[in-house]
Amino acid sequence: MLRIKNLHAGFEGTEILKGISLSINKGETHAIMGPNGSGKSTLAKILSGHPAYEVFSGEVVFEGKNLLELSAEDRSLAGVFMGFQYPVEIPGVNNAEFLRMAYNARLVNEGKDEVDPLDFDDILQEKMNLLGMENKYKERNCNDGFSGGEKKKNEILQMAILKPALSVLDETDSGLDIDALRVVANGVNKLNNEDNALILITHYQRLLDYIKPDFVHVLSHGKIIKSGGKELAHELEAQGYDWLTTTN
Amino acid sequence: MSSTIAESSNGEESVVLDLHKKFIETSQSSPDILALNRKALDQFAKLKFPHRKHEMYTFVNTKDIAGAPFSLKTKSSSPQQFVKQHVYAGCERSHLTLVDGILCSELSDATALGTAVMVGSLTDAVKHEPIKTALQESIEQENDVFASINSAFMTQGIMIRVGKDKQVEAPLQILNISTGGESGPVMTVPRIYVHLEPLSELKLIVKYVGEEGNYFVNSVQDVVVEENASLTHIQVQADSTDAWHFSKNRVHLKRNSYYRGYQATNGARLVRHHNEAWLSEPGAGLELSGVSVLVDDEQSHQFIRVHHEVEHCTSQQRFKNIINHRARASFDGTVVVNKGAQLTNSDQLINNLMLSDEGHADCKPNLMIFADDVKCAHGATVGQLDEGQLFYLRTRGLSEAVAKEILTQSFASSIIQEIPFAPVIEELNQTLLKKLKAN
Repeated sequence: MLRIKNLHAGFEGTEILKGISLSINKGETHAIMGPNGSGKSTLAKILSGHPAYEVFSGEVVFEGKNLLELSAEDRSLAGVFMGFQYPVEIPGVNNAEFLRMAYNARLVNEGKDEVDPLDFDDILQEKMNLLGMENKYKERNCNDGFSGGEKKKNEILQMAILKPALSVLDETDSGLDIDALRVVANGVNKLNNEDNALILITHYQRLLDYIKPDFVHVLSHGKIIKSGGKELAHELEAQGYDWLTTTN
Repeated sequence: MSSTIAESSNGEESVVLDLHKKFIETSQSSPDILALNRKALDQFAKLKFPHRKHEMYTFVNTKDIAGAPFSLKTKSSSPQQFVKQHVYAGCERSHLTLVDGILCSELSDATALGTAVMVGSLTDAVKHEPIKTALQESIEQENDVFASINSAFMTQGIMIRVGKDKQVEAPLQILNISTGGESGPVMTVPRIYVHLEPLSELKLIVKYVGEEGNYFVNSVQDVVVEENASLTHIQVQADSTDAWHFSKNRVHLKRNSYYRGYQATNGARLVRHHNEAWLSEPGAGLELSGVSVLVDDEQSHQFIRVHHEVEHCTSQQRFKNIINHRARASFDGTVVVNKGAQLTNSDQLINNLMLSDEGHADCKPNLMIFADDVKCAHGATVGQLDEGQLFYLRTRGLSEAVAKEILTQSFASSIIQEIPFAPVIEELNQTLLKKLKAN
């Protein structure tokens, strides 16, 4: 589904990712872990097409398409979803309305008719029920005045609505208390299936107690220094990142 | 000596003085109105057209309009269809149509208002001594030269009076149609006198539209809201893009009265709103909000003076401008808190959204406080669309153009959505989108 080959990329001329290679197949969940400043979030930004980040060399192929050539909106329409570490507040834009516009953008891209607010409400309600979310997510403005946990739940709601082939969740667990973490993780688990794939970017092993990864990659100084199964996350939790970074 | 003064005042002003001479000769107004016209012309001659450094016109260049050879148009009509198109839903039986400043009864229908609202002409109104005195005083104290021109040329105008303890349910629309000129610019002087008696309520929507052309709407509204009465006053400027639009609101608020003013500016060659309000008895409250959407070379200027004359009054101002291309907007607002106006609560906020590099915004929020136990705040921002918000929307599959539309609409929505009249909200949202899409 996604193939990253020797990716060098960075920000304002500084190289942060120094040769990343990674293959992700349908139905897989990959966790990317690493200490602060290792390049985890840069990878997420590059995959989502953030205009401030630049690619120096390497390639990223998503379902046969060169992802790096696509604009942020075209990547979304192609089926890549980015869950933000810090979801942006958009005052004055009703959340349900925003979700409907995003949903319709996808329908139009697929050559289908847009849905009207009434029909969309049924779709939205079904997803909200699935994720156990309250009505306030419909009524309030997009992330406006949301708590950290509410914002992250709203990201998962967007993921549920857009049904992406590949989701990249950037530190979705940061800033969440254990109850909110459980809600978010349960939501992600419900959306996970044989046909989609997931990249979880996280600093802590805690999230991986709730969402079981198939693979764990450790990122340090812009490179993947170790890959393994989910047991690798436990080793990291027990021994810290120093264990790996110093032995390298 | 005196001849020198007369000469110096006869530069650009002479056009108005000459026009006034002809106007008086042919006018069929009552002696009372003519006396007011003459008084206003004296005031005009004293005030003169503003120079560039005039404090009231710091940000407004009036050189194209001062001394322009405007003609007056007093008798016109407008096609029924055009009127229908601009009457809001809910006002089908409660609208008054002014064509070039003159009330046109065959294009008006006020049956839904019943007996709660008295609609008459200024000629009738000044037969009552208090109204005559009030108009006289306001003409003598006028500080805005363009408003004094309105008074110098006003004819019948409209007087709206809401009776004591009458809460008018039907929203009343005044439709101001300017027909423009076949040759050269035409000035119209709509004049509205609104008087709410104690405990009454009215929702008044004034819409300015023009068929075409470079006309000059120079309107003045005198508003008196008596004890415990409440007026909602929505003004929608939707003139032809070549038009000049000047408007002055003079608002007098009595004990525990409330005035809610909303001004939507859809842009024209030059739009200037002048709002002056006197909160002259305790408990009076004022809200003034506005939104301007400007493209190309359009200009919109807001000049505000709020006088807190006594204690326990509140005032709030919130204005937003969306500025694209080479458009210009300005805000010059002062809240004056008189000595003794303790426990005043007042705030002012102006936000400008710049969509181009060539646009221009001037802001001058201002407080003059002579009391020591008050809460007053003011603020102004000038900014662009937020890159983070744009990117967030794009990662959800929305194109850059759509994302910009959404964010621009959301900028204006906090004001537009609060307008307490749904047809105006809908219209403004559509106009906003249309203007953004066209460019």
